[in-house]
Amino acid sequence: METISVYLDHMFASLPKTLEVMRMKQELLSGMEEKYRELKEEGKSENEAIGIVISEFGNIEELTAELGIRAVEPERAAPMLTEHEAYAYTAAKRSAGLWVGLGIFFCASGVALLIFLDTLFETTVDSERGSMLGLIGMFMLGAVGVGMFFNSGMKLSRFKTLEQGFQLSYALKMELRQGQAHYAPTYRFSLITGVCLSVLSPILIFAASYVNEEYAPYGVAAFLLLAAVAVFLFVYYGNIQGAYTKLLEEPILAAAKKEEERISGAVGAVIWPLATIIFLFTGFVYHRWDVNWAVFPIAGILHGMLNGVYNMNRKSEM
Amino acid sequence: MISSDVIRGYNDTMILYMLLGGESYGYEISKQIRQLTQEKYVMKETTLYSAFARLEKNGYIESFYRDESLGKRRTYYRITPPGLSYYKEKCEEWMVTQAVVNQFIKEW
Repeated sequence: METISVYLDHMFASLPKTLEVMRMKQELLSGMEEKYRELKEEGKSENEAIGIVISEFGNIEELTAELGIRAVEPERAAPMLTEHEAYAYTAAKRSAGLWVGLGIFFCASGVALLIFLDTLFETTVDSERGSMLGLIGMFMLGAVGVGMFFNSGMKLSRFKTLEQGFQLSYALKMELRQGQAHYAPTYRFSLITGVCLSVLSPILIFAASYVNEEYAPYGVAAFLLLAAVAVFLFVYYGNIQGAYTKLLEEPILAAAKKEEERISGAVGAVIWPLATIIFLFTGFVYHRWDVNWAVFPIAGILHGMLNGVYNMNRKSEM
Repeated sequence: MISSDVIRGYNDTMILYMLLGGESYGYEISKQIRQLTQEKYVMKETTLYSAFARLEKNGYIESFYRDESLGKRRTYYRITPPGLSYYKEKCEEWMVTQAVVNQFIKEW
């Protein structure tokens, strides 16, 4: 039975996936399966039954001529993705999300440690040593975080070919849709939790400075850790959702999205290092750890705004 | 085996004939055609379904879904009044065709 469905997938692989074509394929499949079942009931062997069904299939050109469509050029027809590959991709995406999320958490903990130690030793005679210790800690945690980013990138590099486009069988697509629907409540819950955490996290700063003006930097360190937890939730659960979106997205949209991601990446490569430099400079030179963290939310908003402006311009061009 | 070239113009007629007796679905129609012709003519799957598409586009048949047992859903077809008059036209056409071709047929 599987053979018949695979045979049809193959025959229809180069045809555009319009509603009309998909309906036609479904009709053919149910007709062929019924014929197969009857042949089996008549006592034909598996091979005989499949042989007869396939020999009586006919000619796909007859259908395409009737529907007035032409097959997609062979070189443009994207390769079929097997069930095994699709699930390997979702697994890799999930694990990559875990490593990126942890990596971000480690980097943020590094910065939090630096602020904490720098403030702790600020008033003592060991102020120099405190800053040094903080810096060493930050770079070590940062190195661990970057290692995690690399690890995540390696896990996904095997699936680079997906960027060139791919096709899914109808059955697999349905299965993935179901998986996504099943996952939706978890995703929603993690998003809401993440948003709540990031909205509430600055409270730690105000609370700390309310108790004592001097404690504000500790509040910032705690705020960074809590915000990192929120980012972890976004990245980890977002990656799982992203795997479904990627596998189920339409091929034409995929190309436009790729360009969008490229631009967004280029913008991010400028904004975020700049924000980090400003943050470290104002921290060490002016010791304003209590306010200079605001550079990160500002960078985030700026990044989002530039993306939005780019998209709006492009849409009006189209 | 009959050459499909000869019969091509009459696939639609055969399907319409099968629908004269009431609504039916793809596999049943192809099975009936096979039985009626004593397996001398087996309509290919693509021939059958492209004929359905063509006949429906021309308004000669209409399709509808019907739920079967075990949660299965089948597409059924029924003939329309324009389909019936088209069928009659084709019958007359075949009578003439047959008479003409018969003039050149010699029995050995």
